[in-house]
Amino acid sequence: MTTLIMPSNHNSIKTRFTYRFARSLKKLNKNRPASQSMKETYRRYHMIRVASYASMASAVGPKRAWSRAVLWKIRNRTLHRTLMKKSRIHALRTRKVSGNPNDLRKLVPGGEGMDFSRLLNETAHYIKCLRTQVQIMKNIVDHCSN
Amino acid sequence: MDSEDNVDKGFQQRKGDSILNCASSGIVTNSIYEKVPGIGMSSQSMFKSTNEVDPFYGSGWDSIVSLNPSGNFGGSSVVAQNEFANSHYSVVLENQTVNFPSESGLVDMVPKIPSFGSGSYSEMVSSFRMPECGPITESGCHPNYARSNIGGVERALTNIADAREHCQNSEDGILGVSPNGKRKRKASMGASTKNVEVEHQKDPSGDTSEFPKEDDDKKQKFEQNVGANLRNKQAVKQAKDNSMTAEPSKENYIHVRAKRGHATNSHSLAERVRRERISERMRLLQELVPGCNKITGKAVMLDEIINYVQSLQQQVEFLSMKLATVNPELDADIERILSKDILQFRSNNPATHGIGSGLSSPHPFMGFSPGTFPGVPGSNPPYHPLPQTLWNNDLQSILQMGFDANPPGSNLGPNGLSKMEL
Repeated sequence: MTTLIMPSNHNSIKTRFTYRFARSLKKLNKNRPASQSMKETYRRYHMIRVASYASMASAVGPKRAWSRAVLWKIRNRTLHRTLMKKSRIHALRTRKVSGNPNDLRKLVPGGEGMDFSRLLNETAHYIKCLRTQVQIMKNIVDHCSN
Repeated sequence: MDSEDNVDKGFQQRKGDSILNCASSGIVTNSIYEKVPGIGMSSQSMFKSTNEVDPFYGSGWDSIVSLNPSGNFGGSSVVAQNEFANSHYSVVLENQTVNFPSESGLVDMVPKIPSFGSGSYSEMVSSFRMPECGPITESGCHPNYARSNIGGVERALTNIADAREHCQNSEDGILGVSPNGKRKRKASMGASTKNVEVEHQKDPSGDTSEFPKEDDDKKQKFEQNVGANLRNKQAVKQAKDNSMTAEPSKENYIHVRAKRGHATNSHSLAERVRRERISERMRLLQELVPGCNKITGKAVMLDEIINYVQSLQQQVEFLSMKLATVNPELDADIERILSKDILQFRSNNPATHGIGSGLSSPHPFMGFSPGTFPGVPGSNPPYHPLPQTLWNNDLQSILQMGFDANPPGSNLGPNGLSKMEL
């Protein structure tokens, strides 16, 4: 994982994501009620997940098609929320492993309307950023639970 | 991403060397185009502006000529190119911070150049854009590329070396051919903006003999332009072709020569370029996705990639679920501690790959029931069914991957696993 290890770059995607995600976490936790019902937890989980994707996408910027797609989706969330949720849940339930490029298109945000080689390009960048995201979130979790 | 900057700085030498081999002055000004994104504007918008502005060209010249880093090459212009390449490349990378953007950004610059058709000088410049792309794209993908594509870069270097000799011979030819190039460029601009044109490469023959050949080539090129609609990896194409590199001529087309025994149809050529580009990217992805070194074959590779992306996304969901339940004590010192953690993470896990780290995360939880998080302060809220199904579904897949990763017959491994192995 040589590409994602950086000692002290103050403007890398990683640090930008970290700051944004930390900010959003702070914001989310400010309004946290004392008692946590399951529904609350689920809602918080949802918001945190969206926050992490949004932080990563905004840290990447508009240069990448997938980050643009993520930000666009989030901004139009209210319009598409129910639709997306239903299709996502359905997709999760019937998820199969198959090697079609269409599956990759569905996985990578914004992958619907591009040709295959560009899709591969975006996938590579998306994978790198996802890895960063997972790494940082793991660090946060470790830090919190210690 | 800093590491990429550092890594690519190491590559800049190589790039600089390869570019310096071509002792034409046109190459120097190429760096202007590359430096432009570093000035803080998007590469594409900058190119549009430079397309109209000629004075920019002149000013760039002055700044280039004034640079004079040490070098064992003749000509201050060439030396300045080296400096520029170094500075610009790191800037480009810093702006984009990952390899792929830089590569696509650099190559995206190329289609804009055709409209800069004012004067032979520009054509020379744009023509020399090509060989530069080769090492750039090669080195741009360096961290993932190095192991498997050193040969490609060396090929690029040799091609550039060939180009150099040809450059010196046919510099006049470039200027002379400019009108044709201009005409062709305008025609090609009518094609899609993402036109990576594929044309037959010319022999590095005499200058005059290029003229009549060019017309035919250009017509064919044009068909390929429209039909191909290729976009990236032009220089890689050029580097990888084992045909002669004839100086990167007046246009920024990919010079693809039909290999002996292959079809020479324009469509099949374009198709071949597209296929090779796709396989190129698949190889890059192969290096990104851990554990895919032995896989040969697009379908299986795609499977792995899809699995990996899915697993990463599920890790994000899993972690966000965990974050939702954990009480965050991290308000004040989060920045400080996080940045420390990043460093520590690096030192603690020098050899973990993505899947490895993914494995390490579920492993500690395997001993516990999936319904609870260990160590959560206060009450343990039950797992929400959605992530739970995810967890269950992926637990098996992750376990499978863990089993595959363990060497056969080893008695090591987590407690729970060893029993299952037996």
